[in-house]
Amino acid sequence: MYRAGALGVLITFFLIIWATVLMPMVLFNPKPSGHGNNYAVSNKEVADPARGRQVYVREGCFYCHTQFTRLQDRGYGPLVKAGDYVFETPHQLGTARTGPDLTNEGGKYPAQWQKAHLINPRAVKPGSIMPSFSFLSDRDMNDLVAYVQSLGNERKVTAYVEAPAEYMQGTIPKTVDTNSDAAANAGRGLYIQDCAACHGMEGLGNGPNAISLEKKPANFTRPFYKQYSDEFWYYRVTEGVPGTRMPRWGDGGNLNDPRGGILTPEQRWYLVAYLKTLSKDRTSEDTVDKLDQLNSVGIERLPVITKEQWEPHSGEE
Amino acid sequence: MLLDKIFSNQEGSASRNFMISALWWSIFAMGAGLFAGMEFSVPDLVHNVPQLSMPHLRMWHVNGVAIGWLSMGYVGSMFYMVPNLAKTKLWSERLGNMTMWAWNLLMVGAFCTLLNGATEGREYAELGAVLDVFALLALFCISANVYMTIVHRRVKKLYVSLWYFLGALFWFPLVYLIGQRTFVQLPGLNDAIIGWFYGHNILGMWFTTVGVGMMYYLLPRTTGNPLYSHGLSMLGFWGIALFYAPTGTHHILQSPVPEWLKAIAVISSIFLLVPVFTVLTNFFMTMKGKWHLMITDMPTRFTVTSCLFYLVTCTQGPFQATRWINWYLHFSQWVVGHAHLALLGTFSFILSASIYYGLPRVTGREWYSQGLIRAHWWLKFLGFLLMMTSLTIAGLVQAAGWAFGIPVDQWSLTIRPYWFLRAISGVMIVLGQLFFAYNAYKTLYTPAKLEVKTKEAGVTA
Ligand code: HEC
Ligand code: HEC
Repeated sequence: MYRAGALGVLITFFLIIWATVLMPMVLFNPKPSGHGNNYAVSNKEVADPARGRQVYVREGCFYCHTQFTRLQDRGYGPLVKAGDYVFETPHQLGTARTGPDLTNEGGKYPAQWQKAHLINPRAVKPGSIMPSFSFLSDRDMNDLVAYVQSLGNERKVTAYVEAPAEYMQGTIPKTVDTNSDAAANAGRGLYIQDCAACHGMEGLGNGPNAISLEKKPANFTRPFYKQYSDEFWYYRVTEGVPGTRMPRWGDGGNLNDPRGGILTPEQRWYLVAYLKTLSKDRTSEDTVDKLDQLNSVGIERLPVITKEQWEPHSGEE
Repeated sequence: MLLDKIFSNQEGSASRNFMISALWWSIFAMGAGLFAGMEFSVPDLVHNVPQLSMPHLRMWHVNGVAIGWLSMGYVGSMFYMVPNLAKTKLWSERLGNMTMWAWNLLMVGAFCTLLNGATEGREYAELGAVLDVFALLALFCISANVYMTIVHRRVKKLYVSLWYFLGALFWFPLVYLIGQRTFVQLPGLNDAIIGWFYGHNILGMWFTTVGVGMMYYLLPRTTGNPLYSHGLSMLGFWGIALFYAPTGTHHILQSPVPEWLKAIAVISSIFLLVPVFTVLTNFFMTMKGKWHLMITDMPTRFTVTSCLFYLVTCTQGPFQATRWINWYLHFSQWVVGHAHLALLGTFSFILSASIYYGLPRVTGREWYSQGLIRAHWWLKFLGFLLMMTSLTIAGLVQAAGWAFGIPVDQWSLTIRPYWFLRAISGVMIVLGQLFFAYNAYKTLYTPAKLEVKTKEAGVTA
């Protein structure tokens, strides 16, 4: 009887190994997609992304950051394909997102910002709980930044954000021409009335109310907002930002009901027309985005990135 | 002479030494967890010390509790349970003590390398190549020892616990061998598939199988009731053997791995409910008429708590593994709560029960203080509930954030109170463990005059 039992244990186990270990090895061989990360792009003399990957592994960034986007992730750019990961060993898919997903992080911020963020996250993102990695040597740090900057570089990210399906183009009637000056002017009036107390007259996120808020209102002048589509603006204004003081200006359950929400859909479209005029273009004087300029970023001297440009949600001026 | 002391041949010494080592490493491993938890509340707690940065602490914490505390404690427990069930001595105490030293050396290696970031970068399989080989050799020695003990047994029938132990000692070295992937370079996603095969089976084919075996051993002994049903226990064993191992892919359910593999994982995850409920029915029916022992007898209390948490873990697990729930909850702290429910709530409790029950019998000394045992239970129990609640709520907040597409830094302030509560719960749990270790120390290293203390109810040899 025990012989039969032992045989059973053996057979079940090897059956399972065969089905879940060997079969995927044989059947699942995605071809490289040319849609992932390319580590050969930067000048290795300056910074080597492939080595930076080893630093990423060593410092255990993957315990807080994932590297795959999912269908429902609206804030992280294009979806990944199986072939993106052929050369990614050991895999850095990650399991927990204490911090944001980094699949398409490359180019999202200037290299200089990345370095400053690694040296002291709280200097560029108030309230961040990411650990400081200031102990990294210069070489490690530059390589790591080069790696972060190469993430998703073959995916050709143009926009990171995308409104949920129910807000996508065509699903909700757009009653206002959001590109017209008239609409923007109307929006400005509403903005001064309803939003300036928090977001500030210039949209810098520094209205008088900002002082008392823990999560500071958004600074609409950031170049980041250039990628927001009208629908995305509309979605944000309508739904507000849960967990912050940002109110929900529309009635999410009934998008088209003219009476729904604090502001009518038309008023919200006017606001969109105004908000989209606020974001500035990224200018080369303010920021350095060249890897070889990384060495000028030091622990004593955090970079010259102007706060207004790169610190997303500060209320200070 | 000295060699005789180190590689002692005395009966029960290997078991005792393994248990003490487990307690020793548990302090460091759990302490690291607490420290990492505090860094979520105060990220600049330490500055410029790579060894104390959160990811390094986390690696050591996970490996320390899994390979140090739980695994060593498990081996220690098997070393007294198996001879007892087989009505014979451990095959070789000397070999047992040798593996004990080897394993401790492994832990020293793990401590030094992981805190410095020398990692293979694979969750749960972080240890470097040399340490992997070491661990495997030690595992084979342990298996050999236990299997040889069974060969020399003086009873005909094997009790279920032995089925579980023997199964685990056959599966786990193989799972470890496959899972470490030390000498192979697989393409990224295949690496992930094997990685989670291992990550889940260190649980399914080692912590669960040995842990459940220990529950089967302890419940009838501490309550004095016979096991409710041997038929059910066999059903549970085969259910776990069949359905646990293929579930690994449910950890990467939303990544671009093959759909058929995900389907296998989800289906077997749900099927797992069957063995789990048979096992638990068996346990709770065995408790019949003896529930009051939970108040007076501490090993029983630890065992039953562990069974109850096992029920919660294993209902939560299949629930999370279904695609829709996973769609919502994945990546959040909910899952971290679940992991602690399994390793802390269930398996740490059963291991504590086993040490509380076993150490007096192996060494012939009564516990130094029953009060400390009670304090340990309360601290760990309440601390754990606090941790579970705070992580679960934090997870739900995070999940809502992901589902709404709100960037992390916009809602991360909302979960600050839960990070804080988690750190508090960590303090309670580590304090409980310190009481445990202190109690064990006092029990073993005070002169024998304490032995004459009156025996507590329920603790009969
Ligand atoms: C304790 C968990 C934790 C660890 C470990 C960690 N991070 Fe972070 N990371 C965060 C959190 C939380 C944020 C969001 C707040 C912020 O931007 O600082 C973040 C943000 C980031 C961002 C900005 C992403 C964006 O698009 O806004 C980058 C880049 C980043 N981390 C890189 C790294 C790298 C590289 C490492 C490893 C050296 C690392 N992180 C380790 C928690 C962590
Ligand atoms: C009570 C203060 C307050 C008021 C009034 C307020 N906001 Fe906000 N707003 C916030 C806060 C706080 C945030 C969150 C900042 C963040 O997203 O990091 C925010 C965020 C936003 C965002 C999202 C930005 C992003 O990063 O996607 C938009 C859009 C926005 N506000 C528009 C408006 C508009 C339009 C009005 C007026 C109708 C308004 N807000 C009024 C406090 C306010």
